[in-house]
Amino acid sequence: MASKNNTDIKSLVIRVCVGTGGLAAGSQEVIDEFTKLLKKKGVRAEVLKKCVNKTGCRGFCAKDVLADVIVDGISHTYQLLTAENVARIVEEHIVGGEPVEQWLVGPEYHAFHDKQTKILLHECGHIDPEDINAYTEIGGYNGARKALTMKPENIIAQIKDSGLRGRGGAGFPTGLKWEFCRNADSDQKYIICNADEGDPGAFMDRSIIEGNPHSVIEGMIISGYAIGASFGYIYIRAEYPLAIERLKIALSEARSNGFLGKGIFNSDFDFELKIKEGAGAFICGEETALIASIEGKRGMPRSKPPFPAHKGLLGKPTVINNVETLATLPSIMTKGAKWFSSIGTEKSKGTKVFALTGKIKNTGLIEVPMGISLKEIIYDIGGGMEKKNRTLKAVQTGGPSGGCIPAANIDMPVDYESLAAAGSMMGSGGMVVMDDLTCMVDMSKFFLTFTANESCGKCVPCRVGTKRMLEILTRITEGKGKSSDIDLLLELGKDIKLASLCGLGQSAPNPVLSTLHYFRDEYEAHINEGICPAGVCKSLRRYTVSDEACKMCGKCKTVCPSDAVTWEKKQKAVISKEKCIKCGACYEACPFNAIL
Amino acid sequence: MINLEINGKKITANEGDTILRASLNNDIYIPNLCDDKRLRPYGGCRLCIVEVEGQARLMAACSSPAVDGMVIQTETPKLKKYRQTIIELLLVHHPLECPECDKAGECNLQDLAYEYGKPESRFIRSRKTTKSDIRGPLIELTSRRCILCGKCVRICSDHQGRGAIGLIGRGFPTVVQPAFGETLECDYCGQCLDVCPTGAILSKPYKFTARSWFLDEQDSICPFCGVGCTLTLGIREGKILRARGEQGKGVNDGNLCGRGRFGIDYIYSKKRLTTPLIKKGEEFVTASWEEALAHVAKSLTNIIKKYGPAAVGAIGSPRCTNEDNFALNKFIREVVGSDNIESSAAFGYEKVQKVMTAAFGTNNHPVNLESPLGKEIIFAVESDLSVTHPIFGLKILEATREGSRLITADSRETKLTRHSADWLKLMDGTSVALLNGIMHVITEDDLFNKETVTGIANFDTFLASLKEYTPEKTAELTGVPAAKIIETAKALAAAKSRLITLSLSLSENTKGSAAIKAAANLVNLLGEGAESLQIPAEYSNTYGSYNSGLRPDSNKPGKGLKEMLYDSESFLKAIYIMGEDPVINFPNSTAVTEKLKSLDFIVVQDIFLTATAKMADVVFPASSWGEKSGTFTNASSIDQEVLKLVDPTGQSVSDWMILKNLSLTMGSDLGIKKLADIQHELKSYHEKQKAPEGVKAFLTVHHGPAEEIDSRFPFKLVIRDILQHSGSMSTRSKSLDLVISEALLKLNTEDAERLAIRDSSHVKLSSKNGEIYLKAVISEDVPMGTVFVPSHFPYARINTLTQLTPEGDAVIAGVNIEHAGKSS
Repeated sequence: MASKNNTDIKSLVIRVCVGTGGLAAGSQEVIDEFTKLLKKKGVRAEVLKKCVNKTGCRGFCAKDVLADVIVDGISHTYQLLTAENVARIVEEHIVGGEPVEQWLVGPEYHAFHDKQTKILLHECGHIDPEDINAYTEIGGYNGARKALTMKPENIIAQIKDSGLRGRGGAGFPTGLKWEFCRNADSDQKYIICNADEGDPGAFMDRSIIEGNPHSVIEGMIISGYAIGASFGYIYIRAEYPLAIERLKIALSEARSNGFLGKGIFNSDFDFELKIKEGAGAFICGEETALIASIEGKRGMPRSKPPFPAHKGLLGKPTVINNVETLATLPSIMTKGAKWFSSIGTEKSKGTKVFALTGKIKNTGLIEVPMGISLKEIIYDIGGGMEKKNRTLKAVQTGGPSGGCIPAANIDMPVDYESLAAAGSMMGSGGMVVMDDLTCMVDMSKFFLTFTANESCGKCVPCRVGTKRMLEILTRITEGKGKSSDIDLLLELGKDIKLASLCGLGQSAPNPVLSTLHYFRDEYEAHINEGICPAGVCKSLRRYTVSDEACKMCGKCKTVCPSDAVTWEKKQKAVISKEKCIKCGACYEACPFNAIL
Repeated sequence: MINLEINGKKITANEGDTILRASLNNDIYIPNLCDDKRLRPYGGCRLCIVEVEGQARLMAACSSPAVDGMVIQTETPKLKKYRQTIIELLLVHHPLECPECDKAGECNLQDLAYEYGKPESRFIRSRKTTKSDIRGPLIELTSRRCILCGKCVRICSDHQGRGAIGLIGRGFPTVVQPAFGETLECDYCGQCLDVCPTGAILSKPYKFTARSWFLDEQDSICPFCGVGCTLTLGIREGKILRARGEQGKGVNDGNLCGRGRFGIDYIYSKKRLTTPLIKKGEEFVTASWEEALAHVAKSLTNIIKKYGPAAVGAIGSPRCTNEDNFALNKFIREVVGSDNIESSAAFGYEKVQKVMTAAFGTNNHPVNLESPLGKEIIFAVESDLSVTHPIFGLKILEATREGSRLITADSRETKLTRHSADWLKLMDGTSVALLNGIMHVITEDDLFNKETVTGIANFDTFLASLKEYTPEKTAELTGVPAAKIIETAKALAAAKSRLITLSLSLSENTKGSAAIKAAANLVNLLGEGAESLQIPAEYSNTYGSYNSGLRPDSNKPGKGLKEMLYDSESFLKAIYIMGEDPVINFPNSTAVTEKLKSLDFIVVQDIFLTATAKMADVVFPASSWGEKSGTFTNASSIDQEVLKLVDPTGQSVSDWMILKNLSLTMGSDLGIKKLADIQHELKSYHEKQKAPEGVKAFLTVHHGPAEEIDSRFPFKLVIRDILQHSGSMSTRSKSLDLVISEALLKLNTEDAERLAIRDSSHVKLSSKNGEIYLKAVISEDVPMGTVFVPSHFPYARINTLTQLTPEGDAVIAGVNIEHAGKSS
């Protein structure tokens, strides 16, 4: 192995993923270690200063900490790094010139990225989110600059042509929303960025802000100019401290560069932005509740009309766009409506970011073109089921407002219309993959617990209805379900959807209704036979050993904490009903799926 | 107007109406629990959902605008099913305590359950069981019965401008509570009681006194302030048990303040007079009516004989009906032959009348209670109308919600200052300087209406008088920054419409005639008419009593209150006082007491043995409000009937009847046999009073160093009304007494520290006129060097300290504060 001299390295860049996921996995320690060791090794200080850049999320959270080590332009990406690994990388790769093969990312890293079409996430993970120059160097703010030379009407026309639809969930055409607001007569208008990402398991908006906050600010400048708003709010949940921190830095840098404030980009357009931290209520993602919250009132939705585009914040015309929608705008401005509308399906244009989670190998943040099939997402990007011996059961999209798509429909395209037709919805982009060990009743109960807790309490159907539905689901999972419960859930669910005031109530029964539609037999099994087919509902578990499948390995006995398994070598195991505490350890441990 | 069809019926509606409003206005009922026309649409209960042709979704009628051509169905099997579900959902947790709930029988939820409820619920019943919060006075919160319609919260914050309760928590466990679950502390207007559709908010005084279906409900007019609200009174077995507001009735249209709602129980005070009393030596002895009347007749006749009729005077009452006051007027003029008569209006509304007549040349100045609505600027000068005239105050708040810009000038934070766009924090008693300063800017900058001022007398003198009120000088006098004065002046001048409003009564000492003159000048300067200056008469019948002859006739040498009670000249030998307590209520009570002591004969007719009555030779027990019929004329000059709802207390008799009987005893019949006779005569009296209109004039007025602050009496004593009381009558209400029962002296924190006075300790307050003892509370509300105290409480005898100027204005007095017990 030919040893290289330090001074031979002309440029060294190390990019460590420091999104919330990365930080949680220990990326700060990795950065510190690199910094320390490189200094020790005597790599020149001026090189060193630049060589450990913070970057945002690159999406592949399952493999965090991820780091690119770029020596003289040749990049190698490491995965699952810890601080302990750093010494060897410095020694062998940076000093020695030989990358540490065993820690490099494997083919799944490439598969994960190859099927994606990254527009929004393209820069996330590649540029320093805390340095405005990193953004401007790659053409950042050119979209806004260009927009300010255009007539607002033409910008709106361009957005309408692009076919962009709101990424917050409902998919309302963005250009149309702007037009309503643009045409509303008022001395003051507002643009609001909805960064109150509340769906459990969703982190698209957070990652975009953490990874590329300037794209959101630029989007707000474009939309603010288009609708005639000189002031905007970024409503972001206080639970996103890193995103808020980076936004603050980005705002102050944008201000000092003349991108915010009086006469931005040397035009006569004034534009200012303010961050408003939400107190963590899911309902505040609903636009009228969000407005109430900014106004300092209790975050509760109100009836529409009037729509915010006519009477919004402080009674003035207001457009509320989701983070993802806003971050898409700069590239539509620079690359054109045609380019954008060439991606996706007829009615759903562009790309959509999903937070891919659940029982899947590659969890993380993905960006895919509209119309991609679920199958491609799950098997190509997601790498298939997490556990080899498990099979796909369903995919949940749209979070607590969405529904389940059974494995049988896996070839369906992912776009607004198809998802709605399947009884689910696009939502803000949560995508939970479930295997055969997921109980659909329990899963519905999980989402309904969430919505019942997050109901603001204003309207009766949502406040009381979700509570009663939850009660029914709970008793089903406890084996106390009644034969009339399924009909009652269907009826009540329908009533809640029809009579509720806002989107939360109108969609809260969806997880229950869609699982009842596709997995009614599972509900019936709970109620009529007293069993949970997936073995999740604790009260219903009765563990027995299948004589055919048992290979007499005895693993179940070793893991049983209550000494309920009787097993001798070369004998099949037997579980004592009396001693069993239904913890499920044997079930999880059995390599042959012999425990039922 | 727009046309729509509801249930096959073609109706018209106003543009902007919701479907629910349009429908209710056309007598088509749509079930609802969370709607109130005073509040913005809420859409919470979802009972008002309707089907609209061409709309896929069901629409909430309360929050969907009615659109021309809409075809709406409000009662279909589908809607019935949804409503049943909603009622069913509510009844799962609502405790069915109807047998022991005061709301039963008038409970919206109960009615809807009766209509839509099903005997069997599909859900497992789990009633809410939280305990009632009974800690606060007057109002009890029972959250287990609450259906979270939010009406109470909204009426409190959005309509009353208070926000004492809120929705705490979210989702199913949400409760209506004061912040942090503390004891309810609010305006006690009780509007929440009226809007609550269930028994979740109940009146404590009314609790368990009657089932609602046993109540006989009748409408009468509130006995307190000049607004003249209609009270719907619940009576059972000859006793008034409660008052509530009903929408669509009266000038208040369903709104009430706490005084009207809770305060009327003063008529059931144990201290009511029940028999006539005659003083024998130092003590009163009970007497028969015949005996008492004969005694008074004889004594008065003797005095008239000895000194002439001009030695007898009378004081009428803004609390008594027009008929009572007119009877007194007739008695003193026709039977006694004197013209010495006046009422407490001399310290309030009468001054307003005189100034307005001088400034605008017009007679009678009723207020328009709707006047704040639609004004670009409302300027409230040193007055908290939401305290003195709460329902008029609500109109001001309503106007601000609809876009009017409220500017207040006040020394203390009040409800109006809290809702104002601009609060000019001026020093007490400096409103004349402020107004002059504002007019200085307007005239200097040529912002006034030059066309109209030329027709107004004294303009040049007036203009010259403003010279000295430069913004800098005014800032020095008032404490309001010069820039603010200029800004306010420019805003007032630029506005397309404006309202200037004040209050004036004997229970305030920070402003008098001068302030009204200055305000009138401002109105004239801006080219507006008298209607832009709204100063409501203070009490329930101040306006009416003043116009029923309670003032010296300008053509006769009659004497008013000032001459009778304050002047050193001793022409007066006997006085007849009806429904007034000068010793307590009038400024400088030491002087009043001395004067009364000097008289040969005093007759008092009242409902209580007041401090003045105690000095009387004969006391007649009068029937109170609610025990007699008659009319009140409110501040907007509307004659309203007050009903006899219950029997008089003891042997008490209506005031007019006492006067009729006394006249008969004195050998004259007054020409009155029944109430209608007085009303008939009063009508022609009013006709005769209509004086010709005069000319407009500017009334030059200067900021005067009214108060006498010196090293001996270094604190300014400011007297203002408090929300829970009206005059001293309300202090006899047991209910209002529960909220606030004593005159608390408010003292600035730093002053208190300097004097080493602790919160809630007793202090001695002295002025050059006398001394009193009060409990002190330390507060940031009052500025340094000022102490604040309300005058309502008879026992506090605040007027021991106060002054009356030669012009007849009560002014800020200089006082000293010491620890109680320390001698000076």
